[in-house]
Amino acid sequence: MTGDPQPGAAPLSGAHLTCRILEEEGVSVLFGYPGGAIMPFYHALPEFPSLRHILVRHEQAAAHAADGYARATGRPGVCVATSGPGATNLVTGLATAYMDNSPVVAITGQVARPMMGRDAFQETDIVGITLPITKWSVLVEDITELADVLREAFHVARSGRPGPVLVDIPKDVQNQRIAYEPRTRAPGLVTLPPAPAPDLDAAVRLLERAERPLILAGHGVILGDAFAELRAFAEASGIPVITTLLGISGFPEDHPLHLGMPGMHGEVHVNRAIQQADLLVAVGMRFDDRVTGNTAGFARHAKVIHLELDPSEIGKNVPVDVPLVGDVKRLLPALTARLAPRDHGGWLAAIHAERRERAEHYRGGLSPEGILRAMHEATGGRVNVVADVGQHQMWVAKLFPYRRPNQHFSSGGLGAMGFAVPAAMGVWLARPDEPVWAVSGDGGFQMNMQEMATMVQEKLPIKLAIFNNGYLGMVRQWQQFFHGRRYSQTPIWSPDYVKLAEAYGIPGWRVERAEGVAGAVEAALRADGPALVEFVIEQEANVFPMIPPGATLSDVIESPPPEAVPA
Amino acid sequence: MSRRHALTVDYDGKLVTLNAAVGLLRRRNVPVHDLLLGPGPGERGRRLSAMIESDSPTAERIAQLFRKLVGVHDASARPADDAVARELALVHLRPPAAQYAELYDVCQLYQAEVIEESAEGVVVQAHGPATFVQSCIRALERFGLVDVARSGASVSLPGASGAPTPQPEVIVP
Repeated sequence: MTGDPQPGAAPLSGAHLTCRILEEEGVSVLFGYPGGAIMPFYHALPEFPSLRHILVRHEQAAAHAADGYARATGRPGVCVATSGPGATNLVTGLATAYMDNSPVVAITGQVARPMMGRDAFQETDIVGITLPITKWSVLVEDITELADVLREAFHVARSGRPGPVLVDIPKDVQNQRIAYEPRTRAPGLVTLPPAPAPDLDAAVRLLERAERPLILAGHGVILGDAFAELRAFAEASGIPVITTLLGISGFPEDHPLHLGMPGMHGEVHVNRAIQQADLLVAVGMRFDDRVTGNTAGFARHAKVIHLELDPSEIGKNVPVDVPLVGDVKRLLPALTARLAPRDHGGWLAAIHAERRERAEHYRGGLSPEGILRAMHEATGGRVNVVADVGQHQMWVAKLFPYRRPNQHFSSGGLGAMGFAVPAAMGVWLARPDEPVWAVSGDGGFQMNMQEMATMVQEKLPIKLAIFNNGYLGMVRQWQQFFHGRRYSQTPIWSPDYVKLAEAYGIPGWRVERAEGVAGAVEAALRADGPALVEFVIEQEANVFPMIPPGATLSDVIESPPPEAVPA
Repeated sequence: MSRRHALTVDYDGKLVTLNAAVGLLRRRNVPVHDLLLGPGPGERGRRLSAMIESDSPTAERIAQLFRKLVGVHDASARPADDAVARELALVHLRPPAAQYAELYDVCQLYQAEVIEESAEGVVVQAHGPATFVQSCIRALERFGLVDVARSGASVSLPGASGAPTPQPEVIVP
């Protein structure tokens, strides 16, 4: 179906036109689930063999998978759903993509226009529902607008600060016919407000005066493809680098300037460095509360230079002394070019002197670091790691040695449990030559474990790791520390995951002791298709260190309180 | 320091954009005193004017968030003291016949006009800054207040052009 339109060619239906525009925008994979109001689209789809459709088992998974694909490629991921429940099931995935600036285009069917507003079967105002969690939500009410709206949707999703877009297409518009027209106008929708020219000289003056500077690198480094630029800036300036949760794998962790992750579960030496710093160079990060703790006590001695694409982020959470608004991929080299080389070796040594050895002990020696080390060694680090949300997410963030750009994926802003399993499908489809581990807890895995069926049907060789401690671990940890060990509704029963995997036709292994880790990881990687490994870890293992909610980075918990009682 | 700021948002006039704009005010938890919708400076555009309570950096950030919305042409926020804000009130009264002369005196004092007079009473039109209009309404209450319709503040900000925002350029240092 690709190619220039033939003169006098038959008009296309709205559904065919939608597929045609998807091709035009370079889409090769889409994730979705058919239903009544999107049936014309699915009727047209087989005529476009370049569009590979992945039939998920729940629309939430379609949105997460599209998100995973987008994070791995930098190009918009596409998900498709029908009206009503199909569309509302996308919501968590769209909110995840919105919070983490992932370019996703969601296409939803809507009831036919004559039925709209009458509470028709499976009618939902999905445009209204998704307005606060998308960059743009739009209902196509006129077939003549369909092509350009779809083109604009891709433009909006990927331009400026990326994010999700939803295009809602009534069923009768999908069935209307119209002649295909090539793009008739340049994308015109504005996605970022204009900003003043950056004051690089002011930034350089602060850099030259700083004795204890730090770089805080966030997701913007990955979104902006600024890995080399960040490394060059760090090496030229000699400034140690901290990577936020979503900044992980934006800077090689075996680099001598790399320190680790800050914030609520950041390492002690990292948080202490922030509290002692006299200059923070924030690169593509937004001072999330999980990074800063209580902002009143955050980096009180530090001036702040903030390199950020979106001017509305400047000063939102933390006062900024020098805002540098623009693309970090261009700002960093401009800054680097103006710097005289500096050596902050003394400062770096002082930070490392605060480094703590991990003191945790685990039943059977089955430690998170041991599991993650095995995953790393079995692949030589050539692997993509998709984390779910909870304790294991912190272990995956802190204990896996990320040395390659953009190999760590996580739901950072929204913190959506159930993200890892479907997002891993998207990551693998973006990088089919590299293994992909989806690491979940027993809680998060059970939220989207139905996607094992998708993996089997679509032959997606995702490697599933479950850190099973029989609890909703992170909530349990909070209950232990701050609610007097009242484990209310956190013990969680699990099925026999190995048998469950077998029921799906997936090989599975259960590992209860350290000795079994490497063998199971290697066997899973050798399996042709998807594979599952359940790690039965210490039930009450905790993530340390921890900053209590509402406290400052100086108020660190390094071991569990004896019997904390809620105030 | 929190103080009253005037916010103007010029948008494409589509309901979905208005929905997004109001949603943004709600989601960012902005205290809103007045919200007014009317024709905008463009041909088909509309203007949303609001008086919000905020410190100046937050007010400016709110304006920036509006500028990011698809369908919004321009948005500005300034301290209310820097803006020209006017309100219109229609005050429906049913005064005793003996008080008509006194009513007209009060109207003259506030430069208000009686714009309708019937067996149902009179309608007085008052306009000006919100505090002035409020004062006028208080002065009129004793003439048998039936109803008051207030427009909320219509705002003009210096430098707010209402023209579509140009396509942003990536800053190339």
